[in-house]
Amino acid sequence: MTDQALITQFQNGDAKEHAFTQLLKRHREPVFFQIKKMVLEHADADDIAQAVWIKVWNKLDGFKQESAFSTWLFRVAYNETLNFIAQKKRIQAQTKQNQLDQDATQPMTHHSIKESDIQIKLERAIAELPEKQRFVFMLRYFDAFDYEKIASITGTTVGGAKANYHQAVKKMTELLHNA
Amino acid sequence: MGLINNMENESISKELATALNSFKAKSDQVPEGYFDQFEQELMRQIQTEKQQPKQATILSMFANQKKYLVAASLLFAIATGYLFYNDTEQKANTMAKVDLIDIKTLPDELIEAYVNNNELIAEVEWNSAIENAGSSISTNNN
Repeated sequence: MTDQALITQFQNGDAKEHAFTQLLKRHREPVFFQIKKMVLEHADADDIAQAVWIKVWNKLDGFKQESAFSTWLFRVAYNETLNFIAQKKRIQAQTKQNQLDQDATQPMTHHSIKESDIQIKLERAIAELPEKQRFVFMLRYFDAFDYEKIASITGTTVGGAKANYHQAVKKMTELLHNA
Repeated sequence: MGLINNMENESISKELATALNSFKAKSDQVPEGYFDQFEQELMRQIQTEKQQPKQATILSMFANQKKYLVAASLLFAIATGYLFYNDTEQKANTMAKVDLIDIKTLPDELIEAYVNNNELIAEVEWNSAIENAGSSISTNNN
């Protein structure tokens, strides 16, 4: 059964939960891993992914199928991830001192795993990229999405998406060597 | 690494590519059975949301129509202003027309009554002027 048929089934109200869980099973992994590459922390990625799929459940009735379901889904994921990052930045700015104390006593999960210097540098470099560049880079480099789809997901032009990708590569290379 | 074309691959150094491969391997790690648990937790949350009253829907409906409400208010204000302005202008025109009534169109009785009234007023004013003049002459003689 195609995504389109499942969406129509959902929208008609026939076995709504069945149609939804089928869509979830098909798309949950790429969406989750994209989010995780953006926020790095598993728990954060889990929260965002939950929010994304709840939004999908609530908005799928209004989805007109003018684009592929996966494009729409990644757009929802993109918006939710950016909102989460912005919110986290605000909270971190407010409780900066508390966070520093916490980091000193409880190192972050990804630091507890033994990693090479280059991996740590890369994660820092990724974290320093503007969110849009980061999202575009991950979709292009790891999932080989075409630029038209990336542009549609991130609300930019094909040229803009290409520029974002190349800027991300340039910045990561610089940050990797300068760190 | 993804299936991106060679030109794009060339822009990525070997060092960066290696680091990115390690990054991907680490990002793709999840606890065992994570996605099944994820699905269960998600469906539980959706069920909870479905059972909640639909008050939020009403609020969001108004939130979506906010721009229309603002537009309607503005339109109403403009329309009211326009109608008020037009009405005032019409009244002013009517008053101006009264001032410009041609004397030929007035009935004779009205003109006659007007002349009689004004003659009486003129006569009274004339008499009082004579009296004032007489009193000033007598004062000077004294």
